[in-house]
Amino acid sequence: MDGPVIACEGLGKQYGEAAALTDINLSVRRGTVLGILGHNGAGKTTLIDILSTRLRPTHGRAQVCGFDVVRHGGQVRRRIGVVGQFPAVDNAMTGRDNLVLVARLLGATARQAKERAEQLLTLFQLGDASDNPVLTYSGGMRRRLDLAAGLVGAPEVLFLDEPTTGLDPVSRAGLWFAVEQLAAIGTTVVLTTQYLDEADRLANEVIVLGLGQITVSGTPAELKGRLGSRVAMLTFASVLNAEAARNAINRLRLRETGTANPVTIGVALPQAADVTALVRALDTAGAPPIDFTVSEPTLDDVYLSLFQAAGYVGGGAWNQAAGFQVPAAPAASVWS
Amino acid sequence: MTRAADPVPWPTASFGAQVRVLTARSLKSTVADRRLLFFLLLQPIVLLLLFSQVFSAIAALPQVAIYDSYVNFLVPATMVNIGIATAMGTGTGLLAEIYSGFAERLRSMPINLFAVLAARTVADTVRLAALLVVTVLASVALLGFRPAGGVLGVTAALLLTLVVGWCFSWLFVAITTWLRKAETLQTVSFIVMFPLMFSSSAYMPLDAMPVWMQIVSVVNPVTSAIDAVRALALGMPVGWSVYIALTVSGAIALVGMLISNRSVRERRF
Repeated sequence: MDGPVIACEGLGKQYGEAAALTDINLSVRRGTVLGILGHNGAGKTTLIDILSTRLRPTHGRAQVCGFDVVRHGGQVRRRIGVVGQFPAVDNAMTGRDNLVLVARLLGATARQAKERAEQLLTLFQLGDASDNPVLTYSGGMRRRLDLAAGLVGAPEVLFLDEPTTGLDPVSRAGLWFAVEQLAAIGTTVVLTTQYLDEADRLANEVIVLGLGQITVSGTPAELKGRLGSRVAMLTFASVLNAEAARNAINRLRLRETGTANPVTIGVALPQAADVTALVRALDTAGAPPIDFTVSEPTLDDVYLSLFQAAGYVGGGAWNQAAGFQVPAAPAASVWS
Repeated sequence: MTRAADPVPWPTASFGAQVRVLTARSLKSTVADRRLLFFLLLQPIVLLLLFSQVFSAIAALPQVAIYDSYVNFLVPATMVNIGIATAMGTGTGLLAEIYSGFAERLRSMPINLFAVLAARTVADTVRLAALLVVTVLASVALLGFRPAGGVLGVTAALLLTLVVGWCFSWLFVAITTWLRKAETLQTVSFIVMFPLMFSSSAYMPLDAMPVWMQIVSVVNPVTSAIDAVRALALGMPVGWSVYIALTVSGAIALVGMLISNRSVRERRF
């Protein structure tokens, strides 16, 4: 039970000439919340589909809970729960009947199934609507029911494919809470998302997929430390002072991040020592800021810098083809 | 929340249990949909009225005269054809299911997807039984159907029709899992169903047809079923017809199951 709960070796999926996934190597410990980030078409869903035995890989191999996903798919399916991008429930049936049906198919007796359904309906606050057809549910309720259905079998590993896409902020927070609770009791959660704050909040390990490959992986803190940077926002009393400060910053060879305001300057501070160096330089230059804030890096910075490098954002082939003149906008100015 | 991940000590559901649970779900949805149920049961009555009136001139043929009335000739054949039409419906119903959200859940669950197909065929056979009972009762009450086989003969005919209908549903299940596309499925289903229905002994006695059509009709697997059902219901000599019908239908079911099991193994169900 000490081995990784998910392990991939050279995993790949080829559709004819096109590679959806290439050389994925992964080792996930029990109890981890793994966030898979990436653009549309980056291979997130393909990876989830292979790990949940719904798609056969063309290269390499993958194990979930110690079982090969191709040769022992049945064993894997007994230990996982899957919540896809679209609610996988029967709209004509009531919420309760959906959960009872899933439990019965998993081998529960009629009574056990009823108890389990009741438990999950209460847990996900669906009690009031439990005897109405799913057709009458709101999007958020349908997601909750879908998640409940994925949990009927008390899975060791839960796969969530973009679980909060299209949800309102309240439903989103509710789902986050549920994932945190599950993680707290030792369920391994694999979730794909396009929302960086979601990965930042929930995941303790992150992989970023780009064009079917793992571009980067690590804990959110590691990624932010490596790729994002702390940004200082300095506001000055006059344009003159701002100019003096800008010269000082250039002498320190720090990267400026554009701002819309002429008396405000953004500065990237990759090293901790840069903060003190900046303060000293401003003092020497006689340009004290009237406002000084330092913001911590976000996964957004990481993400954008990665895809800027890959030509996805700003100045990439797509923009050139469209005839756009895109200034190399630093990530931080867009997001923070 | 602490209870969400309590270990669930359920043993794996057997194949039979999976089929039972899924069949019950399917039947429950039919009964719950009152309009569907109403039109489902109306359908055979409309068909019978239509055929008995449109083809009434056939009653004058000497080959039909031995059955006393065209309705007696027609009703057993219509039973079989309702079975074939229901079997075709199994295919379209299954296709809708393949693309439903719920199928997505089934695919990631530890169940045998063949059970999903089997449940569909069993549920449709139960629906067929209801249809056939209504058909027989309505023909007796409205059209003057007087089966010489009596209650026993008609019951035997009904049971045989159910077996034949179930077997043929596997033909359409196989076509559905192979095609997986609504428009194509509909076209192919009609191409399969209409010749099965009409190039048979259902509406016309065989020897009143052109010779080449007689040959087609004899080869047509539905003809053997119609002959057997008709003989049972009308209390005529049955001979080998029941065995031939069961053998032919059984062979079709077997081939259908083998083909559909292939797509199930790839979890494309």
